[in-house]
Amino acid sequence: MELFGRARLEAGRRQVTAAVPVRARAGDLAAALLESCPRLGGVAIREDGSGPLESYTFNLNGARFIGREDVMLESGDTLLLFSSQAGG
Amino acid sequence: MLGYHGACLVIDLTARSVRRDPLDERVLRRFIGGTGLGAYLLYKHCPPRVDPLAPGSPLIFAASPLVGSRLTTSSKFAVVAKSPLTGFIGDSLSSSFLATELKGTGHDALVVTGRSESPTLLSIDDGRVDFLDASDLMGLSTSETEAAVKALLGRRARVACIGPAGERLVRFASIGNDGGRQAGRTGPGAVMGSKNLKAVAVRGTNRVDVSDPEWLDHARRDLARRSLGPATEKYRTLGTVANVSVFNRLGALPSLNFRQSTFDGAGAVSGETLHESHHVKNAHCANCTIGCEQILATNDDLPRVSGRMEYESSFALGPLVGVADANAVIRAARLCDESGIDTISAGGTVSWAMECFERGILTEKDTGGLDLRFGNAEALTAALRMIVERRGLGDLLAEGSRRAASRVGGGSDAWAMHVKGLEMPGYEPRSLKTMALGLAVSTRGACHNRSSAYEADFSADVDRLKADARRGRITADGEDFSAVLDSLIWCKFLRKAFDDLYAESAAIYERVTGWPMTADGLRRAGERINNLKKLFNVREGWTRDDDTLPARVLEEPLPTGVARGVGLDREDLDVMIRSYYRARGWAEDGTIPAQKLRELGLEDVVESGKGVSSGAL
Repeated sequence: MELFGRARLEAGRRQVTAAVPVRARAGDLAAALLESCPRLGGVAIREDGSGPLESYTFNLNGARFIGREDVMLESGDTLLLFSSQAGG
Repeated sequence: MLGYHGACLVIDLTARSVRRDPLDERVLRRFIGGTGLGAYLLYKHCPPRVDPLAPGSPLIFAASPLVGSRLTTSSKFAVVAKSPLTGFIGDSLSSSFLATELKGTGHDALVVTGRSESPTLLSIDDGRVDFLDASDLMGLSTSETEAAVKALLGRRARVACIGPAGERLVRFASIGNDGGRQAGRTGPGAVMGSKNLKAVAVRGTNRVDVSDPEWLDHARRDLARRSLGPATEKYRTLGTVANVSVFNRLGALPSLNFRQSTFDGAGAVSGETLHESHHVKNAHCANCTIGCEQILATNDDLPRVSGRMEYESSFALGPLVGVADANAVIRAARLCDESGIDTISAGGTVSWAMECFERGILTEKDTGGLDLRFGNAEALTAALRMIVERRGLGDLLAEGSRRAASRVGGGSDAWAMHVKGLEMPGYEPRSLKTMALGLAVSTRGACHNRSSAYEADFSADVDRLKADARRGRITADGEDFSAVLDSLIWCKFLRKAFDDLYAESAAIYERVTGWPMTADGLRRAGERINNLKKLFNVREGWTRDDDTLPARVLEEPLPTGVARGVGLDREDLDVMIRSYYRARGWAEDGTIPAQKLRELGLEDVVESGKGVSSGAL
């Protein structure tokens, strides 16, 4: 997983490696990320790991934004976590 | 009247005359304030087909009903004029104390026409207007001008002014106020300079009453609380410069004059790097709880420079011109702000010249010995100075990329990256298809802010790499939403703090003005304002061919990053444009049917609009 913005600054690193289910939802990704990097709790991930905070979003391989639907993952996929506030 | 003064101040610099024109309830309710009211006043006061830099071309400052309410982010104003870059409507927003003092003069808007014989400082103190000599201010930067005017008129005076670029009619000159804020896009500083108007100072003690002050106190506290929540987190931490690394990763960061949508040096100018190595503090506009402004400083061995930095400036003076040096970008942005030029158009025009230089169309003979290669930070700074001074090649570049390409020829219009003459912002249209449509059809040219069409592209709602006919409705709705934000005026960074912008804003409007307003009424006002802007453009000569994108975007697929191989052909753009016209209820050629004007209550505006024939509609 690649981190951007405040998430990167708080985590102190650009990337985090996490094991996630092949068929996953945003909540699964958030839980895995929180386990690998607890400092993101309350910063970018909900404290209970149930999903990203509403100010953050997941993107798969820089191509597809992950909404409410399940996403099928493959080994080597990269998940990006960045602010959901576009623009500026 | 509540919330408004019901009047605008009209000043003719040629005749040195002043009058107070009434603004009645019907006008104010239909056009709200800010860009909406400004567009109405422009349509009314601007002679058809006038040269934007002629004396008769009006310069308008418009406040809004929320100014003075102390609601968070509401201290904003619009500057509206016929753009010397595009020849169409030009509207820019700025903010802070100038808005409250402008309204405090007892007027909802200021219309300046004519041309002074000598450099002038316009002082407006409540109802009193003085035409003061500004000869001693000429040549001063924006911050120097502001300081000098305050020294003369007192610290309470709030100052809108131009720098040396506006004095020399650089077509993308900005107007600065309140210590570095800019009405930046579309060249209002050139219009101000053409009037020999160096600065406007406003002071006022006229406060407007509101209908329900107790309710508004509660709303003010509630909105302030929400403004500090997750909806604004990005803006409060890294600010908009956080976009650099994200856009780069998504293949949406234009670089090297839009030849690529990624930049190898993005890390050096990213928001994360700027925050860790250059951040001094965050700053706030007046009555704003968000505090998005990133004050950054250089950290190299050269004399220290500090200033504001936004994503658009960091993109235009960094990746777009191939510069991967944060210190150089900070210095270039400060130079633009102090000289009074729009950073986006400045970077866009210099990047056009850099490509001309690399292709041999411009040589060192043309540049005065400047090695104008991409990535040469010193050449960037030198080129910016030449533009501000209209010296050598700078005199050509001061005209903007469209006019410069037209004069230089050699096929260079193919890489002049503008729409309608306004240089492109930092959103790659080939990998952001909704934004592509927004840029193509925007009434002020290549503008990301008047539609916020990128919102859809950065979501799971659409496939941002593929064009389709759904984009017309999305873009039209985004434009109407933005027009309401820009007319009330709310800061765009507050938009996600509302559960329902229209319903909540309608309730606030009612409690400010005492006039009934509904969510649908506000939505309709947004549509009306966008139609009026289009009507102005039609009157000034807009044709269907003006709604397009630069040839590069339509002919060259992206070569790098996750969007590698992705392009946007003319047919796909046409599908989206036609879907946009349908969503707007316009004719196939993009003109507005008379029925639509009646539906929006615009027919009387057009009848008084000098020169619009029914055939043109």
